[in-house]
Amino acid sequence: MSWSWVSVNGSLIWQLTRQTAYLGVVPALIGLAISVPLGVTAARWRWFSPPALAAVNVIYAIPSLALFIALIPALGLSDTNVIVALTLFSLCIMVPNVIAGLRSVAEPVRQAATAMGYGQLRQLVGVELPLATPVIIGGLRVAVVSSISLASVGQLIGVSSLGYLFIDGLQRSFPTEIYVGLVLIIVLALACDLVLVGARRALTPWAAR
Amino acid sequence: MAVDALDLEVPAGKTMVLVGPSGCGKTTTLRMINRLVEPTEGRVLLDGRDVRQSNPAQLRRGIGYVIQQTGLFPHRTVQDNIATVPLLDGWPRKKARARARDLLALVGLDPALAPRYPYQLSGGQQQRVGVARALAADPPVLLMDEPFSAVDPLIRASLQDELVRLQTELRKTVVLVTHDIEEAIKVGDLVALYRPDGRLAQVDAPQRLLGMPVDSYVSDFVGFDRGIRLLSFFRATGLNLRAEPIVGSDSTVAKALGAARDAGQPWILVTDSDGKPRGWLPAERLAPLADDTPLGTVPAEEFGHTFTVETDSLRAALDAALLSPAGQAIGVDSAGRVAGLLSYDQLRAAVQAAEATTKDAAGDAEQQPRSLRA
Repeated sequence: MSWSWVSVNGSLIWQLTRQTAYLGVVPALIGLAISVPLGVTAARWRWFSPPALAAVNVIYAIPSLALFIALIPALGLSDTNVIVALTLFSLCIMVPNVIAGLRSVAEPVRQAATAMGYGQLRQLVGVELPLATPVIIGGLRVAVVSSISLASVGQLIGVSSLGYLFIDGLQRSFPTEIYVGLVLIIVLALACDLVLVGARRALTPWAAR
Repeated sequence: MAVDALDLEVPAGKTMVLVGPSGCGKTTTLRMINRLVEPTEGRVLLDGRDVRQSNPAQLRRGIGYVIQQTGLFPHRTVQDNIATVPLLDGWPRKKARARARDLLALVGLDPALAPRYPYQLSGGQQQRVGVARALAADPPVLLMDEPFSAVDPLIRASLQDELVRLQTELRKTVVLVTHDIEEAIKVGDLVALYRPDGRLAQVDAPQRLLGMPVDSYVSDFVGFDRGIRLLSFFRATGLNLRAEPIVGSDSTVAKALGAARDAGQPWILVTDSDGKPRGWLPAERLAPLADDTPLGTVPAEEFGHTFTVETDSLRAALDAALLSPAGQAIGVDSAGRVAGLLSYDQLRAAVQAAEATTKDAAGDAEQQPRSLRA
């Protein structure tokens, strides 16, 4: 472990960490935005649910590197390439979670809402989505952590992130770089997770603890 | 086919209880009223208007709905749960919340519960909030689907009492579904008893259901002790109570024995200085004692419980007689002072007289245009 390397390269490490956070958080949030309407559709029209779940499962089976490479003709060696790929992966986690979240709303609650005179859209926005929030945020936690971790693979197509430290450390046989990259990815993932746990608590004061 | 050939009219301001075995269609009937279920044929009229002419959401906001599992919104505070329909109707939040607090008091809950979440409440409290929520927009009609089935028997009894009390105040048109005939008889102005096939067996006032079941299905459903339960519909006010032998505890053995002899009764009721019952004394226990022994010094038998003449029913009087060592019920006034005694024989005469009135009333009802047909 060479501490002097860390202090000399502080600004590089900081920049790579920010880039990794960006590549991790943005796809998860876009995934959230896309998966909510998809999940709502699947929860409402049941026939839509099996094909949707099968589709996201197939996507999840694609190795991340293969997906990055497959997107090169369309998106080149860019941040966008990695963000699109990671968004697709986060859909694989988010869509089933949104469906599960909406299905977790107790039938009597749904029935009471209808009987009180809620219209369909109002019931979705006012009752069902708020009650699905804990499960949806649970999915978001997994999606963010997995995006942060997968972002480092993007280094192989030249999109920089903390993954740079792994490849450079390997090529130079310099373990310090690898350790630093690993620790920072874990710390970053934990930090994002903590933020989301805080968000869930703030958004769902009604959940019995 | 859950419900078939049903013809039922619920008079405004009354409580109609739909009761029957599970699967008989009572809940389906209820849900047809607010269009949670659409009938394949026939009509549901609300105030003379077919419910299918109304927009479902609008219709439902004018009909309170209470269900067994409460269906409270876990993510809303108690006050916002109660304010649901007013908020849907576009009331300002402040006004809706003020209304919610009023309703909390109306259903017997502490307004301090307003900012709590449902999970912080007991089952009985949640059910009361459910009732308050149904009443929030002051709908003329209230539908209740097994509202008290999920709470323990003690709480259930108090919720039933509360409903009866609320009804005397609010006079809503209530349709309540239950599988519990006791509940039906307790809270219903009218009871509609279903057969397992979804047809109506009998629609009647509770005392007529108990007193004049139309067939063996009804009498079996109502239960073997329907005679005793029928007694709860007869007031104790008209009873002829005996004034003897009742003796104050400051009196003597000689006077007590004299009173017992005059009345021809083996038991003497001893009262305290306020005229409240103190206990029963058997004449045979007094006989060996000196004539001037004060009664207050003789240990008396416990008197069990009493019935209040002005407010209790014959059922309470019978119960008091059953549990009395003397086989006699003690009637008291509202202050707890002894009003008189009642023996089994007197009770039997009173019950026979009361039953005769029921039969007469039933005879009269045949003449009236019947608002309810089965």
